[in-house]
Amino acid sequence: MAEAAVTASAGRPHLRVEGAVKSFDGRVVVEVADLTLGNNPVEGLIGPNGAGKTTLMRMIMHSLKLDKGRVTFYPGDGARGVVISSRPAHAMASLGVVKTNQVIQDFEKLTIWDSLLLAAARRREERPFRIFAEKRVWARNTDEIKRYLEEFPFANPYGFAKSAGEKKLLDILRCLLLRPKLLLLDEPTAGLPADVRDRVMQTIKKKAVDENVSVVIVEHDLNVIWTLSDYVHFMAEGSVVLQGDPAWIREHETVVEKYLGKGHVGH
Amino acid sequence: MSIDWLSAYLIYALFTVAGTVGLAQLLHLQMGLAGIGNFGIVGFFGLGMYAWGVFQVRIPWPDALGDWGSFFLSLVMAVIVSGLAGLLIGWVIADLEGDGVLVGTLGFATIMYSLALSEKRWTGGAEGMAVPDPLRTFNWGVKPMSLFWLGVMILLVVGITYYVARVHRSPYGRLLIAVGQNEPLARSLGKPTFRTKLILFALGSAGMGLVGAVFGVMNHFIRPTEIGIEVTLAAMVGLVMGGSARVWGAIVGVLLTAGLFDIVVQIYLPLPDSWYQITLPVVREIVFGAMLILVLLWRPLGVLGDMRRDKLVERLGSG
Repeated sequence: MAEAAVTASAGRPHLRVEGAVKSFDGRVVVEVADLTLGNNPVEGLIGPNGAGKTTLMRMIMHSLKLDKGRVTFYPGDGARGVVISSRPAHAMASLGVVKTNQVIQDFEKLTIWDSLLLAAARRREERPFRIFAEKRVWARNTDEIKRYLEEFPFANPYGFAKSAGEKKLLDILRCLLLRPKLLLLDEPTAGLPADVRDRVMQTIKKKAVDENVSVVIVEHDLNVIWTLSDYVHFMAEGSVVLQGDPAWIREHETVVEKYLGKGHVGH
Repeated sequence: MSIDWLSAYLIYALFTVAGTVGLAQLLHLQMGLAGIGNFGIVGFFGLGMYAWGVFQVRIPWPDALGDWGSFFLSLVMAVIVSGLAGLLIGWVIADLEGDGVLVGTLGFATIMYSLALSEKRWTGGAEGMAVPDPLRTFNWGVKPMSLFWLGVMILLVVGITYYVARVHRSPYGRLLIAVGQNEPLARSLGKPTFRTKLILFALGSAGMGLVGAVFGVMNHFIRPTEIGIEVTLAAMVGLVMGGSARVWGAIVGVLLTAGLFDIVVQIYLPLPDSWYQITLPVVREIVFGAMLILVLLWRPLGVLGDMRRDKLVERLGSG
């Protein structure tokens, strides 16, 4: 049965979280028995505050250590799964598992171009003795970066990201330049202006459909979830309690009761 | 050409200033870019100096190697030993916060000083050890030999400066700044931050060891008084003074501190002779300390000001 599920979804990059437990000061925050993320182009992960969504994301990225359990990444090209929960945090990006940040993160002394080139540069170009590699890095990535900068203009792309919105956008663009296979978006719309938000989401949806990138979105703006996602996981009190189509989840009484409130029903 | 106008002290002072620039440039990479506050500079400098001396003097090199063969092999060993020490200390401090790094590196320098004093059989203890100059076979006299080594030191420092300038314009420099600014974010972008800091620290230490070894060669004598905290202070004050915005920062800063004091004040100001032994070294430390405080109060980014990375990136992008 499990075998069949794996074969069926071999075409998409996906994650399997098994027996993952994390507790802080004796309080269990996340307890996920068996969860597969990424079987659909875009999946939503929703739930009330404190349900453990962000903690689960950080466990997957290994920026938090798991107390128990493991996370396996299947790249989707038929290759064997990699147990990423035993890999260091910096190994995720090269495997293709990438996450945007919920809280704004930036390198204060790197310009916008710097930041994007940093994400795009290969590891061997960043060795101490490669002091003439700069031209290559520009040559190889300029077109792609320029495309992004035309689509999402910054006040001064050679300068530093100034506003919260620019920093948030930069964070997402950096992640796209890492050429992810599986992209986790942790509240991507918070802090973005409405028009930019919509274009970001379109770009991401397009990547998911056209380039076979599996996208998982954690988001409080449920409109984003209902319009974009093909499948929704509903989390409450540390575990995933419901999974299904957005329309079905939206109407489900558990979700309504625990999260949405009565006002949301009946549209 | 007469070189009488060059006093032996002036050559020595220029040599010290050049060496300090070299150390400050290496610190520029470690502290200025990657944010590792290395307060143990003199430890690596001293290790290089002593390792060179010990290998040169205590190893019975075969005669076939000649003076230069044993000299270069000892120099290579000094660089390797300092680099390995950097690797070890780097491994200890790479995951520590700023004050942990400070204590760790400072402790390393203190250990080096104590070892130089206590391991008499190798180092000669407090009296130090005389080391041979491979130039002696030419019978040039002391001053030309010193000038030769001054030239070597300047070449070395120009090389280090060129490297630092290139690093500013390379993906490696970008990686170092990223690691210094926000390590978790760099890690999430797939950058092995621990390894990056470790390698940087080892390479920087090897460079500091090389500067120290050349210092020992020129000095003809290696003793613990050469590896006191003032070496670290001079490099650090110089770098902070000039700022880490540009490659020129370390040079301008060291010229404004050690350059001004060791050359202009000590040679050209009419000071009483009795000051030179005890008063001036103390005054030097007081002045440096005061300058450090003033710079940090009024120009915390150094006299050259902020990093204009935006201008640099625009230039890189347009050509």
